[in-house]
Amino acid sequence: MRTSKFVLRLALLGVVVMLALGISVVSAQEPSIINLYSSGDTNITDWLQNIIIPAFEAEYPQYKVQFTNSRAAGDEPIIDRAMAALQTDDDPQVEVMDIDPRGFGASVEAGLWYEPTVEEIPNLANVIEAAQVTPLAASYRGSQVLIAYNSEVVAEEDVPTTFAELIEWIKANPGQFVYCRPDRGGSGGNFVRRAVYEVSGMDPAVWTPEFNQELVDEFYPQAMALLQEIHPFIYDDGAYPAGNNPVLELFASGEVSMISAWSDQAIQGIDRGFLPETTKLLQFTDLPMPGGYTMLAIPKNAANLKGAQDFVNWFLSPEAQALVVEVIGGFPAIAWDQLTPELQERFNSVITDNVPTWPGGDYNPPLTELWYETVATNIDPNS
Amino acid sequence: MVARSTRSLLPYILITPPIILVFGLIFFPAAQSFVRTLTGVDGSFSFERYLEFMNDRSSVTSLIFTFQVTFLSLIGLFAICYPLALYLRFSNSRVAYWAQMVALLPLFVPGIMSAYALIRFFRGRGLLETIIYQLSPVLSETYYSPYVKPEGIIIGSIWESIPFTVLVLLAGLRQVESGLIESAQDVGASRWTIFFQIILPLTRRAALIAFCLNFIAIFGSYTIPYLLGPAAPQTLGVLMQRTYQEYAQPLQAETQAVITFAVCALVGLLYVRTVSSQRTGRN
Repeated sequence: MRTSKFVLRLALLGVVVMLALGISVVSAQEPSIINLYSSGDTNITDWLQNIIIPAFEAEYPQYKVQFTNSRAAGDEPIIDRAMAALQTDDDPQVEVMDIDPRGFGASVEAGLWYEPTVEEIPNLANVIEAAQVTPLAASYRGSQVLIAYNSEVVAEEDVPTTFAELIEWIKANPGQFVYCRPDRGGSGGNFVRRAVYEVSGMDPAVWTPEFNQELVDEFYPQAMALLQEIHPFIYDDGAYPAGNNPVLELFASGEVSMISAWSDQAIQGIDRGFLPETTKLLQFTDLPMPGGYTMLAIPKNAANLKGAQDFVNWFLSPEAQALVVEVIGGFPAIAWDQLTPELQERFNSVITDNVPTWPGGDYNPPLTELWYETVATNIDPNS
Repeated sequence: MVARSTRSLLPYILITPPIILVFGLIFFPAAQSFVRTLTGVDGSFSFERYLEFMNDRSSVTSLIFTFQVTFLSLIGLFAICYPLALYLRFSNSRVAYWAQMVALLPLFVPGIMSAYALIRFFRGRGLLETIIYQLSPVLSETYYSPYVKPEGIIIGSIWESIPFTVLVLLAGLRQVESGLIESAQDVGASRWTIFFQIILPLTRRAALIAFCLNFIAIFGSYTIPYLLGPAAPQTLGVLMQRTYQEYAQPLQAETQAVITFAVCALVGLLYVRTVSSQRTGRN
């Protein structure tokens, strides 16, 4: 009796010791967490989760990237939380966000964002000048919105080469063109912004990042009038789908023969056979549709700031940048000549250095609002 | 003594967590929102937020549109579900068994998936138009796609709500005793008399419950109106999201939310009255 009790106690003690040892060993090896948030389309979030994060973790085993898809809830609540944490000196529970901080004015005013430096993120030196759009974040990939059309349906001689020609083409081919709601996808948003450029003298330099109400008052109604002109000729008497992907689906099913689309999504779609083989891409010769650089922003109160810096630094290495081009058909944030010649050759058709960047920020809400109130409803903006 | 007092306290202890949860997560934040929307810029009591809502064309259009969509969906829903429930109640055939299975299917399909399935089904060149085209190419010329139209929301909402409505109506119909109907038949009552004099009055409560709960679900829904509905007008759920996220106007979005909540609370009141009259046996 006594001996068995003693043995039992010994065994129990042994278990406890081993558990304790085990836990301490595990905790010694436990990689530090980098919380990454992205609200990108599925092609982006899939790529981050399945390609980028595993590649990074393989190279930096000391880190574990915890990915959260914020598409449904939006990035706003995460930023709000980080701002609240900044005030109370708490952990914001976020290290890296796949956003442009300039779109979140309050957070910029609150000084939430860490400004990346070459000392802390050496590969930042590789980033080309066109991609350096804000000191608040590090651009890591670019894309542009272009026109995709089905060459089986649209005759080569009818293909528009300027925005004005596209307007004419849309009117001549009712129901054959569609773009998405401007706030629900950049392919629609940048189409609407291109209309703004069209009525403001096709000079993107006018639209500087400092918000100017006069520009809005002068040009937005004109742009809306232009979009209203084509409203009755848009797919299904002016039906605007709720995102980039629904537009691609309408195009893939043959419902429409011309759309505005993100370069990366269109290239990927053609590569994977989701879009017809006869799909062709074009960019306006007078002034391309805006595109832009997508960036990684780091809140300066991030608990794992070093991890965030290492992640961004790795993302800007030529190896990771090749994954931008190869896997999602985007353009790199570093110079093309740092990539392999094969890659440069393959993506010849989309390499461009003349993509205007829309300033965004405070310019967006009134544009979206006016679009919904006047174009989608087809009500005169001046009434 | 101790044991007895603990036992008498037990129910209260057991209901404390849900009460804390309901008050902490629903009533308290809702009351806070309500107070905030009634506070003016200078911090005093004011209706200015609601006046702003009422003076904004797109908000008012959206409110009216949400009511229209909800009522049309409910009419369509009852037109489909009531006859279906009647059939399922009074038929013992194998077909009825399978019909019930099929009617309950949407219950197990997540909303976003049914939305995408419906898009692929009824958009232009979708499954439906392709089938019509195979039958008659001329007929398919006249095909009207409800995708990105108000009809899209109505069809989607009906599709999503069928299982729940059928279940509630069927439960109500099962409470109608067969003996009652048989004795009416024995004294020579016609089918219509039985329906209007017996079945309809006895299932009124079930119908009210189905009406209330579906109204609340459809009125405040987001996924179906967002994916299937038009860019303009939009339902309150979609407008709220756009106001909050795209325009970064959380206060306006809150006002829209309180208005939505108030409408649903009124219907909720009707539901509570219906259910409690059932409990106390009053009619």
